[in-house]
Amino acid sequence: MKRLLCVVTLMLMAANMAQAEEIAVIGGSAALDKFEAVLKIEPNNLKYGNDYRQVVIKINKVEMYNRCIAFFENLTAENPKAPNAWMNYGYAFVDKIPVEGAITQVLLANTALGHFSTALALEDTWLGHYTRGNSYVYWPAIFGRTPKAIEDLTQAIAHSEKAEKLHSFHVRPYIGLGEAHWRLDDLAKAREVWQDAIQKFPNNEALKKRLSLDDDALTAFLTIHFEPGKRVDTDLTILWEEE
Amino acid sequence: MKKVIVAAIAGLFLGVGSALAQSAPKFEEIGEKAGVRFVHATRKFGQRHKAQVLEMFTDGGAAVAIGDYNNDGFDDLFVVDSDEGTSHHLMHNNGNLTFTDVAKKRGVEGGNDPLSICADALWLDYNNDGHLDLLVARFGTPILYRNNGPNKKGVYSFKNVSKATGLTKFGNTIAVIAFDADNDGWLDLMLGNYFQPENLLDLKTPHVLPNNLDYASNGGGVTFWHNVKKKDGTRGFEEMTEKAGFIAHTGWTLDLGHADLNNDGWQDVYIAGDYGTDRMFFNKADGTGTFEEVTESAIGFDTRKGMNVDMGDYNRDGWMDIYVTNITDEYMKECNMLWHNNGDGTFLDLSRETGTCDTDWGWAAKFGDFDNDGWEDLFVVNGLRSAGETNYIPVLLEMIITPNVDFSDMNNYPDIGSMTWSGYQKQRLFHNLADGTFKEMGADAGVDNDLDGRGIGVGDFDNDGMLDMYQTNANQPTLFFHGMPVNPGNWVALKLVGTKSNRNAVGARVMLTAEGETYLREVNGGNGYAGQSTFRLHFGIGKAQKIDAVEIRWPNGMVEKLSNDHLAKLTNAISTVQEGKGVVR
Repeated sequence: MKRLLCVVTLMLMAANMAQAEEIAVIGGSAALDKFEAVLKIEPNNLKYGNDYRQVVIKINKVEMYNRCIAFFENLTAENPKAPNAWMNYGYAFVDKIPVEGAITQVLLANTALGHFSTALALEDTWLGHYTRGNSYVYWPAIFGRTPKAIEDLTQAIAHSEKAEKLHSFHVRPYIGLGEAHWRLDDLAKAREVWQDAIQKFPNNEALKKRLSLDDDALTAFLTIHFEPGKRVDTDLTILWEEE
Repeated sequence: MKKVIVAAIAGLFLGVGSALAQSAPKFEEIGEKAGVRFVHATRKFGQRHKAQVLEMFTDGGAAVAIGDYNNDGFDDLFVVDSDEGTSHHLMHNNGNLTFTDVAKKRGVEGGNDPLSICADALWLDYNNDGHLDLLVARFGTPILYRNNGPNKKGVYSFKNVSKATGLTKFGNTIAVIAFDADNDGWLDLMLGNYFQPENLLDLKTPHVLPNNLDYASNGGGVTFWHNVKKKDGTRGFEEMTEKAGFIAHTGWTLDLGHADLNNDGWQDVYIAGDYGTDRMFFNKADGTGTFEEVTESAIGFDTRKGMNVDMGDYNRDGWMDIYVTNITDEYMKECNMLWHNNGDGTFLDLSRETGTCDTDWGWAAKFGDFDNDGWEDLFVVNGLRSAGETNYIPVLLEMIITPNVDFSDMNNYPDIGSMTWSGYQKQRLFHNLADGTFKEMGADAGVDNDLDGRGIGVGDFDNDGMLDMYQTNANQPTLFFHGMPVNPGNWVALKLVGTKSNRNAVGARVMLTAEGETYLREVNGGNGYAGQSTFRLHFGIGKAQKIDAVEIRWPNGMVEKLSNDHLAKLTNAISTVQEGKGVVR
């Protein structure tokens, strides 16, 4: 019976997915109710958690970000062994960053890191290392977290090298790793990483862009790219789009 | 005849040459030579618990106020100090770019007593007697010195009239402005307070720091004081903060600014708040001296660390714009705000578009046409604490990210020791390129020092028609910049004297037209963090020689147009205009 209920709910969910954007615009609360109901049944479902957060981002109101964070707080409390719930919990903090002040942004980013670490402790994954490593890259070098970024992103690359198939999204830790070296003012090393990556991902535009810029232009580009407060793309759709 | 032709051709070329020549601000630092170099000292809290934290949060007070206290036609300097027992400096302008300290002789050197910290100063003629009085703002009670004018020997003296004028309320005041809120002809006072009214030198609680670093609501707010006639016929002040509409602001005020922002003839107010939103108030324009908060509709709420308010019409569209400094550094990218006045009660931040966003950890900023090209430039001072090689930020971060930490509790802040925090930052001078953008040229202008800047006073101390600047720095020597611009333009300087309006003519608006170009200036009473500039209005007019029109809207509403006879006297001269009488000197 429970299984049947779950399936029915998921079907309803799928049917409503297409309307999610529209629902978000007209209010969003009802749409979020449905996502939350599904996630309570499947707390470790990365995709549903991701879709839930994307609706929250579309609504883009402080109270909805708070609701999302509170929901994942409860979800992880009830399901402490669900790594993807922790991942989405972390992303929920990252998603809120653009609507907050400079100091609160730091607190949100730092809290997100903690949740990514919890997820990684439960399950050692490419996504976990990439996400946490990429988060570290956003911290200015003065905070001393860039070496941790390099460590995580290197591990994410190691994961991808062991994967059955190299997906286009596997380029991301290479990009981040180069950016971490840029943080440390080692542009030569950054270019070396990207040059290596472009052999594997010859059509990747982000890599091409970075490799096409001279030192000053690259620094200008990345300075803007990493401006605190800018929305970080936490949409994981790319993970299942290729499947 | 040949000589005449040669001369004419030479003149033509000279004319072409000067037309092509690019003007640019340029300064020479002459503090030592002028005798106005002082090393400011912030208040030390001795061996008391968490002294370093308190010193960090009170790391201001290096202020300057410019005014001609003895009416000799040369602007004088009042330079504030802050450590216990230190003296301020009243620098009498000798008229030759040298100054003499007469603070002790005039009795205005004090105020840094064991329970008070001096933080700002303001010249104002509160009683309209024609002599500039002096207000010293403190973390404590303010001190108002009445200027008694000259005695029979021509010697000026001051008398402390704080108590007699009703200014006895304690506040941790860091900013003060004077303007006529109800246009009754008398200057009112607005005090900006940083901490709540707890005496930091006699603390009863450790919970005195901001309760949130983006949305703090436990600051000192502001107090507003209406200038009133007392029973004995003298002037004094009555607090009307609540009635005026400012009581709800409980933020950490760092600076105040006023101007007529909606061109209705009444002075409006901008409050720069640390750890939270700035606020804007429009005058209700009904003669009651009351205000309506318009923050949400005019500028929106922000979470930045506002530190300075100066106002000027940078793009010459006839509307006063606003420049606010915030924190922009490696670890925090708030960006300053150049609030472009849309003319409809709303403002648009164009700091990025104009190139004035990033000045590191900003403090004071002042508009001024430093090369007389007809466009107002911007000078911005920066930097918090230049000390040892170790950076305090990572240390502070550990406290900030501690779960559930109480930011208001000073016990939670790590000591800074000899660490640097946003130090060694260069000052910026933004040259107005006359196309809605600015070019940073602090190095070329000779003002890109990396001291821990706090206040700026702008004036023309040698009356040569070029603006000079005085820069104060926390715990570091002051700097005095003599303006020597490259290929400067022509200029007009007006000293306005109110008769029915307040004597300093604060709030008077002048529209000056020279060869088809129109320039707007307003007299302000202390805009800008830790620095009051001259009351004189300074117009650069570029190559123009002829003044077409000058229209003065006095604070009492009278609009006065100067006659052609008077207009002919204005170019490259300092003129005194008396309300209703035109140019009198």
